[in-house]
Amino acid sequence: MTETSMDDKCLYKLIQERDMIQMMVESFTQSVTEGNNLFEVPTKAFVEHHNELIRRYISGEPFISSYFCCAPEIYTAMDLPWSTFLTPAFTGMLNPDYQDEVDASGQLFATDLCTIIRQAAYYVVADMVPPPTAIIAMMHPCDGINVVHQVMANDKKWKDVPVFGADPPYWADERSLDYYTDQLYEMVAFLEEHTGLKLTEDKLRETCEESNRAYAIWDEYSQTRRAVPCPHGGGMGLQVFGTLSTNLCGKPEGTDWVKDVLEDAEALIKQGKGAVPEEKIRLLWFDVLSLGTTTDLFPWLEEEWGAVIVMDMFGYAPYSQLDTTNMDTMMKSLAARALNDVPMIRQARGLADLFLVDITNIVKEYKIDAVIYPGYMGHKDGTANIGMMREKCRELGVPFTTIGMDFYDDRYTSPDEVKDKLSKWFESMGHTPKSG
Amino acid sequence: METSVKSKNLDAFRTAAHTIVNPELQKWMDQGGKVMGAWCCYAPEELITAAGLVPFRVRATGSTGTEEADAYVSSINCSFCRHAFNMGLHGEYDFLEAMVWLNNCDHVRRMYDNWWRKVNTPLTKMMSLPKFTGDKQVAWWREELVFLKEALEKHLGITITDDKIREGISIHNEKKRLLRQLFELRKSDNPPITGADSLATAVASTAMPPEEFNKMLKELLEELKDTEGIKDYRKRLLLVGSIFDDPSYVKIMEDIGGLVVADSECFGTRAFAVDVDESIKDPLDALAKFTIKDRQHCPRLFGEYKRRSQYIQDMVKEYKVDGVIGLRMTFCDLWAGEYYMLNLDMKEAGIPFFYMDREYLMAGTAGQVRTRIQAFMETL
Repeated sequence: MTETSMDDKCLYKLIQERDMIQMMVESFTQSVTEGNNLFEVPTKAFVEHHNELIRRYISGEPFISSYFCCAPEIYTAMDLPWSTFLTPAFTGMLNPDYQDEVDASGQLFATDLCTIIRQAAYYVVADMVPPPTAIIAMMHPCDGINVVHQVMANDKKWKDVPVFGADPPYWADERSLDYYTDQLYEMVAFLEEHTGLKLTEDKLRETCEESNRAYAIWDEYSQTRRAVPCPHGGGMGLQVFGTLSTNLCGKPEGTDWVKDVLEDAEALIKQGKGAVPEEKIRLLWFDVLSLGTTTDLFPWLEEEWGAVIVMDMFGYAPYSQLDTTNMDTMMKSLAARALNDVPMIRQARGLADLFLVDITNIVKEYKIDAVIYPGYMGHKDGTANIGMMREKCRELGVPFTTIGMDFYDDRYTSPDEVKDKLSKWFESMGHTPKSG
Repeated sequence: METSVKSKNLDAFRTAAHTIVNPELQKWMDQGGKVMGAWCCYAPEELITAAGLVPFRVRATGSTGTEEADAYVSSINCSFCRHAFNMGLHGEYDFLEAMVWLNNCDHVRRMYDNWWRKVNTPLTKMMSLPKFTGDKQVAWWREELVFLKEALEKHLGITITDDKIREGISIHNEKKRLLRQLFELRKSDNPPITGADSLATAVASTAMPPEEFNKMLKELLEELKDTEGIKDYRKRLLLVGSIFDDPSYVKIMEDIGGLVVADSECFGTRAFAVDVDESIKDPLDALAKFTIKDRQHCPRLFGEYKRRSQYIQDMVKEYKVDGVIGLRMTFCDLWAGEYYMLNLDMKEAGIPFFYMDREYLMAGTAGQVRTRIQAFMETL
C-alpha cells in the first residue's frame, strides 16, 4: 500500500495537513521578509514528522496519539512518533472546507463544546484520522479533553485501540508529584507493552539533557522579549512552544533552531529594532492562540496600533530543568513539568491562583501596558476567572479586557468585531490608530 | 398528574425541594446545629455527618438572577454555578459553617476559587477527585478524606473517631436504602408516587438532618402502601443528566402524560443506588472504595461509560420505560460527549432517546420544554 494508491480515508487529515504546511515551508524558504526564515525549520519538521506518521501507518509500525503535556521526552527517547488529535483543528483554518467540517461536528456534539475538542472527536468518528497503535490520553486541564477520549475509547472503529491516561491530581505538592510520577511509570509500561519498544535510562537521559539545553535557551529567548521594543511579534512564543514540545522535543535540531531564534532576537535588540517600527502598547495575551490570531489579528494589532503581544500564555513557560541523575529523578521531574510547567496545563488544571501569579509576574517582568484575556469559548475554567483577573490587573494598575472568541471558528465573534472591540478599548486608554 | 396520598411528610419534602433553608434544617440550626455545604454528590456526606454537621447539597433554588456573579464569571459558565454563586454573594448561604468542593467539573471547581475570595463561609475546602477508578485512585481518595477530616477536626475543635464515621455511614446507608425503596415503587404499572414527588424527596434527602429525613421517609413509605397508583399517564420516561433539582420541571412532563419512573441523575439514583460497604473494617477505606469504585458514576470518571450506559439500559427494562430523555446543562462539556455516545447506544438497543439543553432555572422556558417533550412523546 502506498500513500497515493491507497483508498484509506483515515489518512485524509494527515496528508491534508502535511501538504498545507509543505506550502508554508516553500513560502518561508522563498520569502525575503526579515525573520520569516525562522519559521522554516519548525514547518519542515512538521512535514517530516507527518511523513513518518503516514509511513508508519502504511507499514504497520507503531505510532501513538498523545499530547505536549504527557512527558513527550519519553516518546522521543523511545523513538516513538506521536500525533495529537487536536492538530487537524489547529491547522484546519488553512483548509478551505474547514467551516463545513465545524458545522458537521456541530451536528454530532453540542456546539458549546470547545470547538477544537469537537473537531478532534469529529475527525475520529468520521474516520478521517488513522487509528494509532495506542493512545496516551490527556486527562487535564479541562472537561472537554476527558470527553473526547471517552468518545474515542467507545467509538466502534477505535474501541480496540488501547488507551492509557495518567491520572492528574489537582494539587502541585510532593504527594501529587509522587502520585503522578507513578502514573508516568505506568504509562511507560503501557507503551512498552503495546508498541514493543523499550525505554532505556541512557536514551531518556540523552533526550532529557537535550530538552534541558533547548528549554534553557527558550528561557533566555523569553527574557529577550522584555526588551523595549520587543524584538519579535506575537506568534513567536507559540512557535517556540510548539516546536520544542512536539516535533523537535528533546532533539538537537530543536536546540539548534531555538538558538537561532535567540540569536536573531539578540541581534535585533542590539540594532534597536522591534517587531514594529514604533512600539506603543505592550500586551499580554493570556490564553491559547491560533493561526488566525497569529496571521491576522496580531499583525493588525502591530500595524494599526503599534501594539505588540510581548508575552502570551504559551510563550511564557517557566520550565524547570529535568534532573537527569537517575531514572527516578528524570521521571519525577518529567512529572513536575507535566503538571506544573506546561503552558495552559500549568494555569488551568488546578486552583486559579496561577492565573493570577503568572499575570502578576508577566506584567511586572515584561513591562506590560495592558492585559487581554480573549476568553476562548472552550475555556470554561478560565472564563470563570475573569473577575479575579480583572481585580488583579486593577491592583497592578494595568487595563484588562476580555473578548469572547472562538479561535477555530471566526463566525463566533468575527475578526471585525474583535478588532472593533480592541480598537475601542485602546481608544479608551488614549491611543490613536495609525489609520485614524 | 398527582400523588394521591395526603402526607405531611411528602409536603415537607416538597417544601424542602422548593426552598434552601427548610423548616427541619432551621430547627436543627435553632438548636445550635451546624451545616456544611457540598457542591457535588461525590462529597463524603458520611464524614460530614460524623463531624456533627448536616450535609447540605448546594442548589440555587429560588434564585432569580446572576447579576452579581456575572461580574466574576462569564456567560459561558454553567447557569447553576452562576445562580448558586450569586446567592452566595447575596448572603443566602451565610447559614453554612463550612463548604466542600471537588474538582468534578471546570465550572464547579472555579466556584471554589471565587467563593473563598468573595463569600464569608468560615471553612472552605477543595478535594482532588481522581479521574480513574483503580486501586491507586482509591488510595488517593482515602488520603483526601483524611485531609477533610483533619480540616473539620481543626476547625470545629473535635475528634472524628472511626466509630463516628461508621455511624455516619450507617445513617446514610439507611437513607440510601429507603430512597431505593421509594424509587423502586415506580416499577409498578401504577406507581403510587409521581416523578416530581420522587425528585422532591431525593432533593429533601440532601437538605435535611439525615436521621430526621430517614424517620419521615419511613413514615411516607408506610403511607404509600395503601395509596392508589397513578393510572392517567401515556408514557413512562427515564431522565438522564447532571444537576437536576427542580420538581417543577418533572411536573411539566407529567402534566402532559409522561410519567417519570426512573432516572440516572446526581440528585437521583446515582447518589443512592449503592451502599457504602459496612463490612470493611476501616471506615475511610470503605468510603474511598464506595466513591471511586462502587457508586454509579457520572461522565467525569474515565473508563466507566459502558457501566453508565448499562445502568440506564437495565433500568429501561426494569421500569418498563418507553423513552429516555437527556437533560444537559448548557455549556456542560462532560455531558456533551456522554449524550453523543448514549444516542448511539440507545439507537442500537432500540430505546427511544432524545436530549435537550437546559438552563438551571426553568423560568421563561416552560413552554419550550413542554413542546419538546410532547413532540418526543408523540414519537414513542
